[in-house]
Amino acid sequence: MDRMRKIKRQLSLTLRGGNSSDKSLSETISSQDNAHSDSEIVHEDVKMGSDGESDQVSATSSDEVHSPVRVRLREKPGRKISNEDINKRLSLPADIRLPDGYLEKFSLNSPLFDKPLSRRLRRVSLSEIGFGKLETYVKLDKLGEGTYATVYKGRSKLTDNLVALKEIRLEHEEGAPCTAIREVSLLKDLKHANIVTLHDIIHTQKSLTLVFEYLDKDLKQYLDDCGNCIHMHNVKLFLFQLLRGLNYCHRRKVLHRDLKPQNLLINDKGELKLADFGLARAKSIPTKTYSNEVVTLWYRPPDILLGSTDYSTQIDMWGVGCIFYEMSTGRPLFPGSTVEEELHFIFKLLGTPTEETWPGITSNEEFISYNYPRYRADCLHNHTPRLCNEGVDLLSKLLQFEGRKRISAEEAMRHPYFHSLGNRVITLPDTTSIFALQDIQLEKEPGMRTTSLSDSVNSISRRQSLLF
Amino acid sequence: MMEVAGTSQERTRPADAAKSVVSQEVKTHFRVCRFIIETGVKLGMRSLPVATACALYHRFFRTASLEVYEPYLVAMSAIYLAGKVEEQHLRTRDIINVCHRFFHPGTEPMELDGKFWELRDSVVQCELLILRQLNFQVSFQHPHEYLLHYLVSVRNLVNRHAWSRTPIAETAWALLKDSYHGAVCVRHPPQHLALAVLYLAIQSYGVELPIGELEWWQALCDDISRGEIEDIMSDLLQLYDMEAKCM
Repeated sequence: MDRMRKIKRQLSLTLRGGNSSDKSLSETISSQDNAHSDSEIVHEDVKMGSDGESDQVSATSSDEVHSPVRVRLREKPGRKISNEDINKRLSLPADIRLPDGYLEKFSLNSPLFDKPLSRRLRRVSLSEIGFGKLETYVKLDKLGEGTYATVYKGRSKLTDNLVALKEIRLEHEEGAPCTAIREVSLLKDLKHANIVTLHDIIHTQKSLTLVFEYLDKDLKQYLDDCGNCIHMHNVKLFLFQLLRGLNYCHRRKVLHRDLKPQNLLINDKGELKLADFGLARAKSIPTKTYSNEVVTLWYRPPDILLGSTDYSTQIDMWGVGCIFYEMSTGRPLFPGSTVEEELHFIFKLLGTPTEETWPGITSNEEFISYNYPRYRADCLHNHTPRLCNEGVDLLSKLLQFEGRKRISAEEAMRHPYFHSLGNRVITLPDTTSIFALQDIQLEKEPGMRTTSLSDSVNSISRRQSLLF
Repeated sequence: MMEVAGTSQERTRPADAAKSVVSQEVKTHFRVCRFIIETGVKLGMRSLPVATACALYHRFFRTASLEVYEPYLVAMSAIYLAGKVEEQHLRTRDIINVCHRFFHPGTEPMELDGKFWELRDSVVQCELLILRQLNFQVSFQHPHEYLLHYLVSVRNLVNRHAWSRTPIAETAWALLKDSYHGAVCVRHPPQHLALAVLYLAIQSYGVELPIGELEWWQALCDDISRGEIEDIMSDLLQLYDMEAKCM
């Protein structure tokens, strides 16, 4: 017991990092300082950047960067470090018995830090090709604008392909927005046919530009353009692709958390891709985006609306259900503008939960405080006349109150609703589009407007995706 | 042949110089990580953001040179960036004030004058520098959660009384936290690091674990060798040796 107490004390000492060690540390720093005579500036001579190397960066001139040690006002006279200080400083118990032989061993070899050069060389060569350079891309129309970012349609001079240029302004005092940091770090690891591809990153002094593949429209626009009546076969194809992209994310423990039609991009081949990972993997559910726009509640599950913090992959599956419904009927399922109203819409359709339908709900304080009328569950069939029985069954498995009861993306892909697509869609390699299979084809939308004219006129106001 | 046969002095000198440069670098990194950890505690950061800040720092200097980049500035930006990555958002102003007190104990906070704004811009600029140097790969899987799982498993293997008598969990946790003074966190997978600190803690207290077909650590992690565990342990112990040299 005594020993435990001693160790606890030592542990807490490391935690608090006691005053004494502070002083001795700052001392070492001031002596350290002299060793780094050139420590006051940060040179920009080392080439660095994304795989696509940026050249504009050299504009970040070294004299704009100041070291923290430069601003020291005065120095403390030296102070002796006692043995006691040293013993306290790291958190190992003082009476620890080190295994024999280790002490000798580590004094022999100190491994050098390996300094790989290959990555740098690769970047240089990519830069020569033109990656990472702003002049490689021609800006065409502006697609949308938010507080921190502007999205342009553009063309790559390298490949002549259309791209979406998401330009994030950096003049803001807080540096790179964390949504951008998260989106980039995530998308670099996600390579899938149903997830939007990040082609390139361009750094300049004032902005960070993310270069995405360009897709003609988002699901919202697609719905509008075909008069809110998507061919039911295409609904199935879109839903399957949504589940496929999501399953890939969920296998990697990445949650999207902001699924909505505006974040699902569709090209003319009918390929659907998940976009806008700015909120993905965040550890809490934000109510506002970085630019202070309210995150829509329409696709948010009831357990989260009622304060659950048990975030898991199931959080995205509710949204899939809402989107499935919206594609099938042409109108949003639960278009609430407040949490209370959102829950009201949900309970009106699915029935106000009881202890039988949602164990534990009657002791949820928020639920009690709203005091909803006791609705009986409506039949989903009556609301989705165009949807087949299997489709309704899948929809009901997605729209479960409790996260743990909701069907997972992987299970959903194997649901009988998709059996008409054949078995091979399940086993496709990650980066292969489902349209690579010959028997998978997009049906023509009977009500589709010819887009060329309306697209350019409306795109600015309608295109909301890819924005913060 | 002739060159190889040169006098022993000629042969050892450059090697010695290189070795001392390396150890000087390692010492600097040790001090700066100490600074990161202490600053993190003062800013009320949780364990994982602090671990991320150290890992960002180590990853940065894996490819960047200390002669070119000021380590304490990189450290401040690493703290700032770690806050964004781990969603414990920190204000640049708080970071600067805490660091200022660290560098100049007992002085007043900095005036909000030109120097302050310059420093803040530097922290923000350097954050971008880190992002680019690390190619935006700034999210880490830390060993902490693995260690927790391993501890639960090992506790079930050990005699209950032996477990309550020895602070294995506390020691392993302390070893893990201390490991961020060095670069082991970016050189080894998180599972391996978690296993090595647990192994070291168990060995240090001489606790016996039952031996079956597999060693206990083989049962927990199937892609690690005893040699690798020993490598990590010697790296860790080197840090404790370093402490005496640095402080």
